[in-house]
Amino acid sequence: MPTPSVLDEWLHRCIRCSNCKFIFRDYRPACPSGEAFGFESYFASGRIWLARGLLSGALKWDDSLLTPIFACTTCGNCQEQCLAPHKRHIVEMIEDLRGLAAKHVGLLAAHKALLDNVKKTHNPYGEPHHARGLAKEHSLPESAETVYFVGCTANYRERAIRDATISVLKKAEVDFTVVDEYCCGSPLLRIGQPDAAKALAAHNLKKFDDVGAKRIVTSCAGCFRALRMDYPRLGLNARVEVVHAAQLVDELLRNGVLEAKTTTKGVVTYHDPCHLGRHMEVYEPPRRVLQALQVQLEEMPRTRANAWCCGAGGGAKSAFPEWSQQVAEQRVAEAVDTGADLLVSTCPFCKRALNDGRGKARRGLRVLDLLEFVDQLT
Amino acid sequence: MAVKKQVSLRSRLVRTVGERFVSDGSAERHVYSYDMTENEPKSPAFVVMPATVEEIQQLLKIANETKTPLVPMVAGQNVGGLTIPQVDGAVVVDLKRMNRVLEVDEEGMYAVLEPGVTFGHLRAYLDRHHPTLRYTYPLAPPYTSVMTNALLQGLNDLSTVHGAMADFINAIEVVLPTGELTKIGSCILGEHNWFGHHPLPDLLSLFLGWQGMTGIVTRIAVQLWPKLPCVSHAALLTFGERPSVALLKHIARANLVEDGECMSFSLLKMLMGIGPPVRQLEGEPDYGTLLTLSGHSETEVAEKYKAIENLVAKSKQQDPRQLLVPWQAIAKLVGEDAHSWVDFPSDVFKILCEYDGLTWVGTYIHPRHWSDALEQGRRIVTKYGFELMAFLKAMKGMHFGEFKFIIRFDKGVPRVITKVRKCNEELLDMALSLGALPYKTPVWAARKVLVRADPNWVKLVRRIHDTLDPNHILNPGRWGL
Repeated sequence: MPTPSVLDEWLHRCIRCSNCKFIFRDYRPACPSGEAFGFESYFASGRIWLARGLLSGALKWDDSLLTPIFACTTCGNCQEQCLAPHKRHIVEMIEDLRGLAAKHVGLLAAHKALLDNVKKTHNPYGEPHHARGLAKEHSLPESAETVYFVGCTANYRERAIRDATISVLKKAEVDFTVVDEYCCGSPLLRIGQPDAAKALAAHNLKKFDDVGAKRIVTSCAGCFRALRMDYPRLGLNARVEVVHAAQLVDELLRNGVLEAKTTTKGVVTYHDPCHLGRHMEVYEPPRRVLQALQVQLEEMPRTRANAWCCGAGGGAKSAFPEWSQQVAEQRVAEAVDTGADLLVSTCPFCKRALNDGRGKARRGLRVLDLLEFVDQLT
Repeated sequence: MAVKKQVSLRSRLVRTVGERFVSDGSAERHVYSYDMTENEPKSPAFVVMPATVEEIQQLLKIANETKTPLVPMVAGQNVGGLTIPQVDGAVVVDLKRMNRVLEVDEEGMYAVLEPGVTFGHLRAYLDRHHPTLRYTYPLAPPYTSVMTNALLQGLNDLSTVHGAMADFINAIEVVLPTGELTKIGSCILGEHNWFGHHPLPDLLSLFLGWQGMTGIVTRIAVQLWPKLPCVSHAALLTFGERPSVALLKHIARANLVEDGECMSFSLLKMLMGIGPPVRQLEGEPDYGTLLTLSGHSETEVAEKYKAIENLVAKSKQQDPRQLLVPWQAIAKLVGEDAHSWVDFPSDVFKILCEYDGLTWVGTYIHPRHWSDALEQGRRIVTKYGFELMAFLKAMKGMHFGEFKFIIRFDKGVPRVITKVRKCNEELLDMALSLGALPYKTPVWAARKVLVRADPNWVKLVRRIHDTLDPNHILNPGRWGL
C-alpha cells in the first residue's frame, strides 16, 4: 500500500447511503458485484466499511474477507454514482484494501498465480515472452517516435487485435515500432500489488526511452490507464504521450490519413471499457470512428459513464470466472436488445469477456475490437 | 453460540434460502453490525437473504424452534440503530431480494410492493408505466425502502398535506412472529382489492412503529397520487424561530402548498458548496423553506403563489426581512443544480454525506410547542459546537409539526461520538419535556419514552408484544422491551 494511503484520507466519509448501488436518476443497477452477491459487504460502501473496521481494529483479518474484498471488477461505476466527498477515490480505496489483504492474509490462489506468471514470464498468462519478435516479423525499425504497446491480452490471447492494429498503423504509414515490453502492471495494480507493478513500469519506461519514443499507442484500455494515469501515481513520469488506438484512429480518420473504403450493413453497438471510459473519460473518439465508418450505431441503455462492466476487470475473470461470465452475459444481453449484430469495444480484455458472454448459444452477435473493424473497412 | 448449535442452525438456514444467501463470514457480520448513527454496533451470528414469503415463514419456524432472534432489514442505509441486533446470536434477515412492484391499480390509485422496492425504483416504474401517478418521496437518498419508511411512520414530500407516511398505507400482508401469514385490510376479501383498511377492527397499527417486532411485512399497498400537470417551487427565507414557525403555520393551514420543507439556512449554504464546518453568519436568514405548489393550471399555481405572497406580506409586519423568492431566481443565483434539488427523490441528501456519521433526534410535536423546541434545540446544538442543521415540516395541514436536528460527524474520533450522544440525549430530553414523540426511535431514546409514558400504555404495549411474539423472536430488545 502506498504511503500515505487514500484509506487514511477518505476512510470516514461513507454513511452507506446506497447511491453507489444504482445509476443516479435512472435506477438501474450499477454494481456488478453487489448485484450478484447481494450482501451489503459486496457494494462499495460495504468495502469501505470493511476497511474502516480493519484499520480501526474492530474487525480482525481472516480468510473469509478475501471474497468480498476481491470479488469486485473495480469498474468504478460506484464512483460515478456516489455524491459524497470521497467519490473519486473509491476504486483506489478498494485497491489499497486489497494490498492490505494480501499482506495480512495473502492473495487468492488465482491472483497469486497471476503475480507469479508476471514475475517469471513478464505476462499474466505465463506465456513465453515475445520480446521484440514482432519487430522482425513485421519489419519494424529499431527506433521510432511512436511505439505500439501491444499489451499482454492482444499479444497472447486476442492476437487478431494486435495484427489489425499493426495493419492499420501501416496503412496510415505511421512510423512506429514495438519494444521489449513487459506487462503494463495494470492487473497487479488492480489486485493491490503496486510494488510489483512499479518494477514493470520502470522497465517499460526505459524501453520507451531506448527507442526515442515520443508517443505510445495502446490497444488495451487497461494498459492505457496504467501508462497514462497509474505510472505517474507510482512516481514514474513517462516523458511520452500516451494515447489509445481509438484516439489515434479517430485522429487519422479526421485528418484524412485513413479513409473508410467500404461500409457494412447491420446495426453496431459500442461497449465502453471501464478503463477507457469511466477511468479515463474517453467516450467520444470511438464513437466518432464508428460514425466515420458510416455504420448504424445503437447505444445500449447503460452507456458511457453508466456502462455496465464486461465483468473481466479487477482480477475478477481469473478468480471468479463464473460470476465474471454472468456479468458479461448481462452486458451481451443488453447489446442484443439494441438489435445490434455487432458489438464493438476498445479493449482486448473486454472483447475476450464479451465473447465468452455470448454463451453457448452465441446469440448471433459478433464481438470485435474497434481496430479489427477499422482494419476491415479501411 | 455453541459451535454444534451454530452448525446445525447454519445447515437449516442454508436449506431454507440456499448456500449463496447465508453468511456467517466476518465481512457480513461486521458490515451488518453498524449503521450510520452513533448507536453501539453488535454483530449478528448470520445474515440471510430470503426471496419468498415461504422462505420467511420457514425462517420464523426455525427461529421459534431454536429460539433464534431475527432482525429484519432492507435497503442497507439504516438509522437509529434500528437494524442493529440488541442480543447475541441474532440472524439479520436482509429482504432486498424481494423487490418487485407487484401491482399498480390506476383506478384505486395504489401500488402493491415487496419490501425491497425503493423510492427510486418506484419513481422509475411509475414514470415508465403509469405517468399520471406519483408516489411521495422523503428527503433521503433514493434507495430507501418504501415499505420500511411507511411502517416506521416517516415523512415525505406530501406530509405537509397528508401526514406521516403510515397514513398512506392501504393494506399489508405479514408473516407473524409465530410464522403464520395473514393479511390486513381490504385484501382479506381477495387479490386486486387493496384499496384500504377501513371500516374493520384496525389491526394495521399492530405493525406500524413497532420496528419489526410484530411481524415481517411481505407486501404493502401504498396510496399513489395524481401527478398534477403544473408544479412550481419557491424559497422562503425567514428570520427567527417564532416568526418563521408562525408563517409556516399560516401557509400550511391555508392549504396552499403540496410540501413545505424548512431547514436551517446553513443547509442551503452546504448545498451551494460551502465546506464544513458551516457556521451561521450575522445577518443571514435563519431558515430556508422549499415550497412546492401544484395545480391543474398555471393560473391555479399563480393564484396560490399570490396568496402566499399575501401571507408573507403580513408576516413582514412582524419582521420586514422575511422574503419569498421564486425558484427561477434561485436557479439564476446557484445554477442549474437548483432544479435537481427539487426533483425528488433528490440529490439534496448529498450535503449530509460529508462524513461517515449521521444522526438526528426527530420528533412529531404539538404545534403550540414547535417554536419553543426549535429555540431550545438551537441552544443545545450550538452549545455542543455542531453545525446548525434543523429540519421542520408542517404535518397534515398543521395538525402537528415535525422537527429534527441533524448532526453529521466523523466516526473515527471517539470524543466526537461521545459528544454526539450527549447532544442527542439533551435534545431528546428537551423534546420529551414538550410532549414530543420521537420517530425511528433508537433503544436509548425508547427507554426514555417508556419512563415518561402512561404506565398502562406501556403495559398494553408489552402485553400485545408478548401475545404476538411469545418467544420474543423478532427484533428483541427494540423499544426497550
